[in-house]
Amino acid sequence: MNIASATQSASGASIRISRLEKRFGAVSAVDGVDIDIAAGEFIALLGPSGSGKTTILMSVAGFEFPTSGSIHVDSEDVTYVPSNRRNLGMVFQNYTLFPHMSILDNVAFPLKMRGLRAAERHARAEAALATVRLAGYGHRRPNELSGGQQQRVALARAIVYQPRVLLMDEPLSALDKNLREDMQLEIKRLHAELGITVIFVTHDQSEALTMADRIAVLKDGKIQQIGPARQLYERPTNLFTAGFIGEMNFVGVTVESVGDNVSVTLPWGETWRLPATAAVEPVAAGEAAVLAVRPERLQLGAGSGGQVITVTLSDIVYAGAALLLIGRLPDGTEMRARIPGASQLCALAPGDVASFTVPVEAMLLYRGSRR
Amino acid sequence: MTEARRSHFWHSDGRRLSGLSTLLLLLPFFAIIAFVFVYPILQLLVISILEPHPTLENYARVVENPVHMRVLMRTLWTATLVTALSVVLGFPVAYYMSRAKGTVAALVAVCVILPLWSSVLVRTAAWSFLFQRNGLINSALMALGLTSQPFKLLYTQSAVVIAMTHVLLPFMILPIYGALRSIPDDYGRAAAVLGATRLRTFLEVILPLSLPGVVSGSLLVFLTALGFFITPALLGSPQEMMISTLVSKQIREVLDWPFAAALVGVLTVFVTLLAIIFSKTLRFDRLMGNAS
Ligand SMILES: Nc1ncnc2c1ncn2[C@@H]1O[C@H](COP(=O)(O)OP(=O)(O)OP(=O)(O)O)[C@@H](O)[C@H]1O
Ligand SMILES: [Mg+2]
Repeated sequence: MNIASATQSASGASIRISRLEKRFGAVSAVDGVDIDIAAGEFIALLGPSGSGKTTILMSVAGFEFPTSGSIHVDSEDVTYVPSNRRNLGMVFQNYTLFPHMSILDNVAFPLKMRGLRAAERHARAEAALATVRLAGYGHRRPNELSGGQQQRVALARAIVYQPRVLLMDEPLSALDKNLREDMQLEIKRLHAELGITVIFVTHDQSEALTMADRIAVLKDGKIQQIGPARQLYERPTNLFTAGFIGEMNFVGVTVESVGDNVSVTLPWGETWRLPATAAVEPVAAGEAAVLAVRPERLQLGAGSGGQVITVTLSDIVYAGAALLLIGRLPDGTEMRARIPGASQLCALAPGDVASFTVPVEAMLLYRGSRR
Repeated sequence: MTEARRSHFWHSDGRRLSGLSTLLLLLPFFAIIAFVFVYPILQLLVISILEPHPTLENYARVVENPVHMRVLMRTLWTATLVTALSVVLGFPVAYYMSRAKGTVAALVAVCVILPLWSSVLVRTAAWSFLFQRNGLINSALMALGLTSQPFKLLYTQSAVVIAMTHVLLPFMILPIYGALRSIPDDYGRAAAVLGATRLRTFLEVILPLSLPGVVSGSLLVFLTALGFFITPALLGSPQEMMISTLVSKQIREVLDWPFAAALVGVLTVFVTLLAIIFSKTLRFDRLMGNAS
């Protein structure tokens, strides 16, 4: 192993995952995934359980070999290179510190495998522990540290040999909420300091949205959408992503005509004209479609610049900064609205009928139907 | 940490049983242990120093007679040899078992466990057929032209060691297998991604973490081997007696209970010392520490 190059290059490597496919018997765990990751980028793999996130990460790490497709790190084809020669850093969900070694020996382990002498590897392990703010903990045993501390040691161990890629499989899911937020900051800080490329697996969307430069949303082994948080949230490209990221209201509609505007008929007979840009996917006249709008985009009261809906309220939930109103449209479809500032709302009670304005630019139209 | 690891009994409604009720539940078990284990051993030790009158004479007879000391040493040596052989033969099997999947895993497990369902007598008798002058082993060696004269295999110490290893092997394999199985797969993966080759992953991570299994298997095999009776009696040579045979002789033929008790006493002291050394040098709690 080339120690000199490993110690000097602190910046990240680019990764190209091409048409990756992994089958376990009849199960297609990963099904034709393409991801291009720039050097130094922080990318999150987000998806429901069983969507193939771990399998993709395992293929990049070299624990699983893909059925077909390839993985390049800095234009070097590593698809079938064994993990111990990939020089990647990895943090696991359950810390995986070796329980029979001291903290210092754990962190020094990768350096030992690279043939460094004891004095040097211990010095460097101490330095790595300092970067995760655990200087002086080296003599302890893993079971003498808290979960958050153990995960920080695991982080130190993963970066001590200055790999150019850091892989993390739900590294924070075993920690409680406060610790998780601390660790999110810690990881972001390290990412900024080291310029390392990060692939971060999570099924916590707020984690993905706050941490990553780009997020790849996965379902059934396929990429649904890949892009920066804002894009994913503001304009999800398909129904799955629209429903998976954040809260979303859906109303089934029928498309009347498509032109400069799109006309749709709502379940209670009203016809709305939407701008052509509202159609995220191409829709055709006469077909079913789904109208989607975020709860926080609804405005209380009948106003201009949008369509007005009437909602029979069933629940009013005080949620700190905002008020959550839950009710039903005339056809029975559930509708949620998040209204900031509670002052004007004292008058509302469950059973009331309230009017909301749906701004034209907040409406998204998708092909097909819900369920 | 310690609180979570301590085990308790629980009421069906979820309350924890008080210390007293717990004690009450465990009482029958401890009573049986006390009655069939602690009491007879204490009784033996008492006999060894009080009969025929309060004296250490019986112990002096064990230690001073070179024949008896040789029996004792031979017993310890045989048990050590059997233990070492069991580790060497058992570890690879346990390792393979812990890795294998599906039908292969089931097959290996059956091969390891099935012999436990037949009695030690049957397995020992099977070996005595194999070891006979005109048994399978000698016939095979002669048929292959490796020897012209049949070897003397039966009634030798080698026969005893081989058969005892065979009989005791499952007791080595199962604890090691258990220890290996409890090592999460991610440890091996972590080592690999950190740059360890398969061999180093094994030597630096898997092997140390499986040591508790090796130690408990070794203790199990060693202690059982010390008192093994049927196999040495059937396959061993009368000139190379083991302590169990000697004790049995003293009790049944010479009717010298105090001397037999002293023999058992010496053995007990050895075993106790050994157990203390083991538990002091190998910190189990540390090794097991954090395998969550
Ligand atoms: N070793 C395996 N053998 C058989 N099937 C597997 C194996 N590993 C994964 N799978 C299957 O592949 C699919 C994807 O699994 P994967 O672990 O990648 O999902 P994930 O997105 O990481 O889910 P989670 O959020 O639950 O961790 C699942 O259907 C899973 O059952
Ligand atoms: Mg997973």
